[in-house]
Amino acid sequence: MRKSANPTRPTTIDELIDPALIARLSQLDLSSNKIFAGKLKGERRSKKRGESVEFADHRPYALGDDLRHIDWNVFGRLDRLFMKLFLEEEDLSLHIVLDASASGDCGEPNKFFYMQQTAMALAYIGLVNLNRVAVTALGTRDTAISPQGDQGIAGTIRDLRGRRRIQDVARFLCSLGPEGTTDFGRAAKRIAMSRRGKGIMVVLSDFFMKEGYETGLRMLSGRGYDVFALQVLAPQEVEPDVAGDLRLIDIEDLDHAEVTVSSPLLKKYKQNLAAYCEDLRTFCARREITALTVQTDTPVDILLLDYMRKRGVLR
Amino acid sequence: MTFATPLIAGLIAAIAVPTLVILYFLKLRRSPLEVSTTLLWKKSIQDIQANAPFQRLRKNILLLLQLLVLALLIVALAQPRSDQGSVGGQRIVLMLDRSASMSSTDGDDSGTQSRLEAAKQRAIEVVESLEEPGVLKREGSADQAMVVAFDAAAEIIQPFTTDKRQLIDAINSVQPTDAPTSIAEAYRLAQAQRPKRRFTDDAGGTLPAGQTFELEGLVGGPGYTFHLFSDGRIPDSDVFKADAESEDAPPTFEYHAVGSPDSHNVGITALRAERAFDDPRRLSVFVGLQGTEPAPRNVDVELLISGRIVSVRTVTIPAAEPAQPGAPPTPATGGVVFELDEPNGVQVTARLPGIGGTAGNALDTDDEGILIVPPAKRSAVALVTTGSLFLQGALPGLPLSRFDVLSPGEYEAQRVSGALNKYDVVVLDRYLPEPNEAGSRLDPGRYLIFGAVPPPPIGVESGPVGGASAIINWRRNHPVLRELTLDGLVIGRARPMVIPDGSGAVALADSPEGPAIVEVSEGTVRAIVASFDLGETNWPFQIGFVVYLGSAIEYLSGATADAGGTGDRQIEPGGVLADRVPKDARDLRVMLPGGGSLELVPSLDGRVVYGPVRDEGVYRLEWAGTPGATDLVDGVKVSRFFAANLLDPQESDITPADTLGLADRTVRARREESSGVLELWPYLVLAGLAIMLFEWWIYNKRVSL
Repeated sequence: MRKSANPTRPTTIDELIDPALIARLSQLDLSSNKIFAGKLKGERRSKKRGESVEFADHRPYALGDDLRHIDWNVFGRLDRLFMKLFLEEEDLSLHIVLDASASGDCGEPNKFFYMQQTAMALAYIGLVNLNRVAVTALGTRDTAISPQGDQGIAGTIRDLRGRRRIQDVARFLCSLGPEGTTDFGRAAKRIAMSRRGKGIMVVLSDFFMKEGYETGLRMLSGRGYDVFALQVLAPQEVEPDVAGDLRLIDIEDLDHAEVTVSSPLLKKYKQNLAAYCEDLRTFCARREITALTVQTDTPVDILLLDYMRKRGVLR
Repeated sequence: MTFATPLIAGLIAAIAVPTLVILYFLKLRRSPLEVSTTLLWKKSIQDIQANAPFQRLRKNILLLLQLLVLALLIVALAQPRSDQGSVGGQRIVLMLDRSASMSSTDGDDSGTQSRLEAAKQRAIEVVESLEEPGVLKREGSADQAMVVAFDAAAEIIQPFTTDKRQLIDAINSVQPTDAPTSIAEAYRLAQAQRPKRRFTDDAGGTLPAGQTFELEGLVGGPGYTFHLFSDGRIPDSDVFKADAESEDAPPTFEYHAVGSPDSHNVGITALRAERAFDDPRRLSVFVGLQGTEPAPRNVDVELLISGRIVSVRTVTIPAAEPAQPGAPPTPATGGVVFELDEPNGVQVTARLPGIGGTAGNALDTDDEGILIVPPAKRSAVALVTTGSLFLQGALPGLPLSRFDVLSPGEYEAQRVSGALNKYDVVVLDRYLPEPNEAGSRLDPGRYLIFGAVPPPPIGVESGPVGGASAIINWRRNHPVLRELTLDGLVIGRARPMVIPDGSGAVALADSPEGPAIVEVSEGTVRAIVASFDLGETNWPFQIGFVVYLGSAIEYLSGATADAGGTGDRQIEPGGVLADRVPKDARDLRVMLPGGGSLELVPSLDGRVVYGPVRDEGVYRLEWAGTPGATDLVDGVKVSRFFAANLLDPQESDITPADTLGLADRTVRARREESSGVLELWPYLVLAGLAIMLFEWWIYNKRVSL
């Protein structure tokens, strides 16, 4: 809950992702209940008929069709030309949206670092499985740093494929720092407008947004993405360890609240937090968004290998 | 309701209330803490405030409570009090008899405790039962008590107080004395503590409305309750009667009798020494005894001269019997006379040996008496006469140290040479000396004059010589005439005198024509003048004549001695030792019988006073300087002795009185006079404390985790 005293700021991929974890992540792949059209040849079944080994259907020959796909066995029996159609296998787009606003710089372990780790692990899985990976960091920045900083996007990296791009993702993630405020609605609009194809979108955030998360999530879910909302909370936010007369300062907008911590107040706070998370889950469920709340003291491998698998994000 | 100190409270309120409000408006210094978001916190605060009842009030309830506490404390500071006009506590006077009889050792059954000890215990019990003052009690509702100890005199040991500790300490500090009892002073002392009664002048109109005045001697306020701890041997207990009848709030009495009615005592109640009239060497010592036992009793009486036993006599004291049936027994008396040949000044002690501490003698103080007997005094007398058969025959029969017969010529010669100083008294028979430079016929000295009248300035005027006369009236209480009768005196030719206005002369005997015998007392001259000629009366043939001569010479010569020289050296315990010492006396000290001494400073004319004398025994005045005629000289130190003896039949009769002759007890109507003021501030402070606790509870409830 309070700002981390010594937040970890990773500089290399080894700090972002444990090599032992990499070994375990190699067996995972992304999954989605939806079948998306891909862009390039990949390992993912596509809606399109294509050139895989898997038979899909027959259709009557039309002028101009590739003669290589005529089913000669059927022609021999029926004396009519039929085309053999095969399932197309294409790549899957994975879009990781990472909240890089100042509010992430809280908690022990640090929420932003946890999100960085999770994003890296997801990107690794995506890249290893020949998917197209994009990473977008949310957070207002000066336009000199980020061209779309004024629209709530701190940075973005996209169209990454193949193992070789793992380093690029790591470098991008390491370059990010938690600062600025969020403008989730505008940022989500921007992401939705500039999207390339369809696929899986993982939103990593604490979803503590004063302007509300509803507009943004609606934007993101409405354009064919299979959205996965991962709410990251610090343990100190769930169980506040504060006492006395306090002037609470919002780390993002420097708004402040004066509280005298008492047991009714803490009780109310916990009720409010539970209700907030419940609201988020209800909202997401209505829009086929899978929501998951995780505390930063949950190890990343358990999150990936257990929680996200159970919810069908990974397999 | 009134306020005792509203000004102070107002001042403090003016300072404290704004301070508190300002302090409250100063914001609480909260420690800042950066959090990820204030979203949920703000919501929580709103929720709590929205759900809490009286939320607006609650925001300021601590301030309101603090203001309330402050207000209560400030009102308490103003000391509000409600006049409830009810009766205050009792005012109790504890009167402890510390007189000699209270030393009797029959305070308890074992006979080891004195009556005073028992009285103290009873008094302390009374003190313990008093109502104590309390913070929450009405002011004045507590009982107040005063401790007065009295013997012949009274002393306030402890003025009115509610402090029981002080009262008990005061009671314990009372020491027995050997003095007799008199309650009048103690009573007046206690009554003097009462407030003066106040009157409002509503009829005369000489005073402005509302103003009051007091009259001397009229006391107001509720009457005191007197607790008298005594054995009841109080001769003047009727002092209360007048007050009890006149006052509208008469005092009430409670008499705590101490001592056992079965205890008995034998004591010396009288002790006198007298030199025989005809032979001053002979000393008679009379010892009077008193016993209270209901059976006859033999008592040995020892007589000591200067500490040596010279005689022992056994005296039988008859049984004490009641005067009337049912009345307490009247003590029986007995006595013995010791005859001694003792010309010197001695200290005579009479005592009852061997009965101290025995059952029949509860009081030891009265078992011994001491007398200081001055040495036998003899006068030197000169008779100046042309020849008088009667005087020349009568005077040598008197115990005189020197007797000379002088003719007027010899007298005048000795007067010039100053040789007359060796005579104490000069008897002038039908002769007056020549006038001296001051025009007086009498030089400083003592004169007994017959048949002549010294004219003024020192003297009286002589009237016309008349016929036969007799004495019709004389001063029977005068020392010279006390022991004789002048009834049979016939004067052949009366020569009455005329006492001029403003003269110091006093007529001792009157004939129908005028004074026949006068005493002239002018400065250093003292003379007793009988104007008639002895030869013309029948007086010389009467016994009274010799008695007159002896008394007059003793009286005149006694007056010549240094002041108080042969005066009574007896002091009563409770009284004072008062005497004169020579003017050049230095380093004057009084040696007390118990050991120890006290320095005294004589007044300019040599008067010294020490007192009150509490214990019996021998007191010695000691100084350096000129000794008096009867004083003991030891080197440069001069000593003069005084004896203090109880010698009081009232005190020696130790049978405790069952009742005191007090006035009829009138039922005392309690007057609603004393203002029962209820101090309210403790309640306010308590309420403030309670509110502060409540505030603390509220605060704690708000911040508790």
